[in-house]
Amino acid sequence: MRTTIVTSIAKKEIMDNVRNKWIILISVMFALLTLVISYFGSLRSPGWQDLGVTIAGMENLITFLVPIIALMLGYAAIIGEIERGSMSSLLSMSTTRFEIIIGKFLGLASVLCFMILVGFGTAGLVIAVNVSNVNYLDYLVFLGATMLLGLVFLTITMFLSTIFNKRSAAMGGAILLWFLFNIILPVVFLGLLATSVDITTIGPSSTIIAPDWYNIIQFFNPTAVYSSLITIAIGPVSSMDFSSIIPLPSWYSSWLLVSVLLAWIILFFSLAVWRFQKKDI
Amino acid sequence: MSIQLVKCPACKIMITISGKSGEKVPIACPQCKQKGFFTLPGEPRSQIITTDEIAIEVVNLKKQFNKFIAVDNISFSVKKGEIFGFLGPNGAGKTTTIKAMLDLIHANTGTIRIHGTDVLTHGKEAKKYVGYLPEKVAFYSNLTALQNLGFYAEMKHASKEECITLLEEMGLGDVGKKRVGTFSKGMVQRLGMARALLGNPPILILDEPSGGLDPRGVVLIRDKILAMKKNGTTIFISSHILSEIQEICDRVSIINKGRLVAQDTVAELSNKLNLKPHITIMVDVMTPAIENAVKAFSGVEVLKIQGNSIEIICDGAMKAKVILAISTAGGNILNLQTKEPSLEEVFMRYTEA
Repeated sequence: MRTTIVTSIAKKEIMDNVRNKWIILISVMFALLTLVISYFGSLRSPGWQDLGVTIAGMENLITFLVPIIALMLGYAAIIGEIERGSMSSLLSMSTTRFEIIIGKFLGLASVLCFMILVGFGTAGLVIAVNVSNVNYLDYLVFLGATMLLGLVFLTITMFLSTIFNKRSAAMGGAILLWFLFNIILPVVFLGLLATSVDITTIGPSSTIIAPDWYNIIQFFNPTAVYSSLITIAIGPVSSMDFSSIIPLPSWYSSWLLVSVLLAWIILFFSLAVWRFQKKDI
Repeated sequence: MSIQLVKCPACKIMITISGKSGEKVPIACPQCKQKGFFTLPGEPRSQIITTDEIAIEVVNLKKQFNKFIAVDNISFSVKKGEIFGFLGPNGAGKTTTIKAMLDLIHANTGTIRIHGTDVLTHGKEAKKYVGYLPEKVAFYSNLTALQNLGFYAEMKHASKEECITLLEEMGLGDVGKKRVGTFSKGMVQRLGMARALLGNPPILILDEPSGGLDPRGVVLIRDKILAMKKNGTTIFISSHILSEIQEICDRVSIINKGRLVAQDTVAELSNKLNLKPHITIMVDVMTPAIENAVKAFSGVEVLKIQGNSIEIICDGAMKAKVILAISTAGGNILNLQTKEPSLEEVFMRYTEA
């Protein structure tokens, strides 16, 4: 593998997306959303909230928004170039398919991380200037976890981009995937839990101790892993966080959850490489 | 199983040998009878022997998409420094073959060598020698022409100066800083040609190089192809413009329904089909005696007699007899034009079934 080829492809992906301007729009949108949530997010104490409260307000929004952006970035990464005709030119150069896909991943990952860092980072700095007792470490953990979540969805869509033969089909698959992880799986998992727990004995303020299988199947949903990671690393932050009703098990740890997210990235990146190697262009 | 071409150390002819990779194989030269052993190369590409004369070699290539056989066991070779035309009707398997040659699609069976390097096992190495103009030329529309070319130049180890020179040669010097999204189809095609020429590759593979070009663009590309040939570049062209192919190609291959049906020079293919030249003879005065003299030959097909000109089809030997007969019949020949059988006729005959 030649690093110059990988960096050329990554650089081209960045240039292509920067020229598109929408990454700038999304970064600005991230920043504005964060500032709005921080300033208007609490009814009890109006004005700037600290970073912890801001993260609380942001968490659910992020599990919806960041996957969408990652999916939009990645769904056309391979099939888009094949359909347009530029992939055949790229592959006719003295390159390997692995160099191309890793270059594309690094380029798109840089764009995604840039949007998260600039968008949320700028807003974080504005908030930090306006509040006292700032916990910078928590905010950095939040940024890191958010980038990991984005990368998981980026690799999943890059894999989708290698299995479909049409850009429109890959987009449809990406949308379906978003519904699966954000709507369908959480409902199905809760439904499974409800069938295994006697809910008639649960009072309004009591908690449900979920069985281990429930905690394990959460690993199959990266957005659930992300929420658990934020809860464990920063504390129960969101009003919609189920950890107040269904406490996280004691064997969950930040490292375990980070490892699960990394495993998602490695698994789907490997699948994308494998599929791309076999694909006729 | 590995197949290699080895040069006989004594008489320098090429000998084909086969065996397992790394195996020591006994060889005997069919010409000078010299005997010896040759160890077939293993994995390291440095041991791969390149032939002196062959730039592209395709042996028993087959590609099947589900039940459809797109390319059916075809073999051909392109000599270094020649312009080779690859022809066939739509859907004949031309682009599939080209894509297999560049490792864009995975062949079911067969061997492809570019400059002696096996494309299927050492694709990256083999592609170093190639500049490719695809049928569907595409660029990144958000980037400028120079940025696009610069991106590919990094992969070809070409300089920015070379990009600028190529843009100028392709008549795009003044639009280098414009986004490709604003380009016309012809401009994109010329930019595609500039990309193919990056790094001055010894082999050019051009799939429909005249597609979308205006007449001036066609001339520009044709002149560039001929200039590249003068520099020793091997050029492999697939095109539907048969007159152009006939004009510039040294040899042609015709593929039909996935099978190679002909391969030779246009003149040789005409001979094989027994196609004869069209001859137009102009006399001072056309008389019934002249008409009858020409019509009397059994090996001459009279196409048309109009005014004082007569158009016939016959071979070279018969042409002399016809000229003599016209003179004997009192005709003074003012003009004589011989038009060799066109590639179009050859193409139509080979692909008519």
